[in-house]
Amino acid sequence: MDAIKDMELPISTRLSEQLTRYLDLAATQAKLTAVNMANIDTPGYRAIGMDFNAEMQNALQSVDSREPSFPAHVTLTEGLVARPDGNNVSMDREGMNLAESQLKFKTGIALLRQEYQRVMDAIHADGK
Amino acid sequence: MNFFAIMDTSGSAMQAERMRAEVVAANMANAETTRTSAGGPYRRQMVVFAANQGDATLADTFNDQGNANLQSASAATAFSTAGPASVAPGVRIDQVVEDTAPPLKRYDPGHPDAGPDGYVEYPDINPLTEMVDLMGATRAYSLNGSAVQAEKNMIASALEIAKS
Repeated sequence: MDAIKDMELPISTRLSEQLTRYLDLAATQAKLTAVNMANIDTPGYRAIGMDFNAEMQNALQSVDSREPSFPAHVTLTEGLVARPDGNNVSMDREGMNLAESQLKFKTGIALLRQEYQRVMDAIHADGK
Repeated sequence: MNFFAIMDTSGSAMQAERMRAEVVAANMANAETTRTSAGGPYRRQMVVFAANQGDATLADTFNDQGNANLQSASAATAFSTAGPASVAPGVRIDQVVEDTAPPLKRYDPGHPDAGPDGYVEYPDINPLTEMVDLMGATRAYSLNGSAVQAEKNMIASALEIAKS
């Protein structure tokens, strides 16, 4: 049984699984930023966010232990200055966050394409 | 992860900000209106935004019952990335309120709406306040517009995976 398992053809590699989680997290970060941006003028709204590095560490562990992915934890962002109406969303901070998550996403896509290309190369390794 | 739900979030904000700009325009247009269907001069309108809760798990993070409560609630609550939410989290216009400030009185006995003392009641609208509000709405609108642009770029780059 184990012998068969070892012969399992890895079309989806460890790296591609990790990159999938990375893309999910980058998209979640973009979503949280979009929610904050949408509420930039909502009185009393508090900015939400997530700890990307901690979530990524958890995701890497869950890939190695072959667990399914789980949703990221969302927390209120600390240390922001609130306006008189109680809202603490900063336009610049959210703009930077969105740019950052966009770049992370694009990086993940580029690496994932390369990884799939690598598998493709192995498939076509017999030349011709 | 549904990217179109993210675009809905930014879209809800663009819609709300456009409504705010419309209300500002109505205020400025009616700065001299002394007659309304409700009687008396026009009263300044203001929009009040409220955070849209979206799906239940995100709603828990929006639950605004004090900071300490929120911390424990949101730490325990997972952000749902699976399954379509019936309403995308975002912003909505909670209500449009009327300014309760007393109207400005100007002496003009010849005016058809003048009271017995010869004073006409005009709406208390300050063009500066309205312009500042309009600028805020414009900036927030373009901020969310660029967010939509960024989300479109992300969708486009996700399609790149399928290209050889």
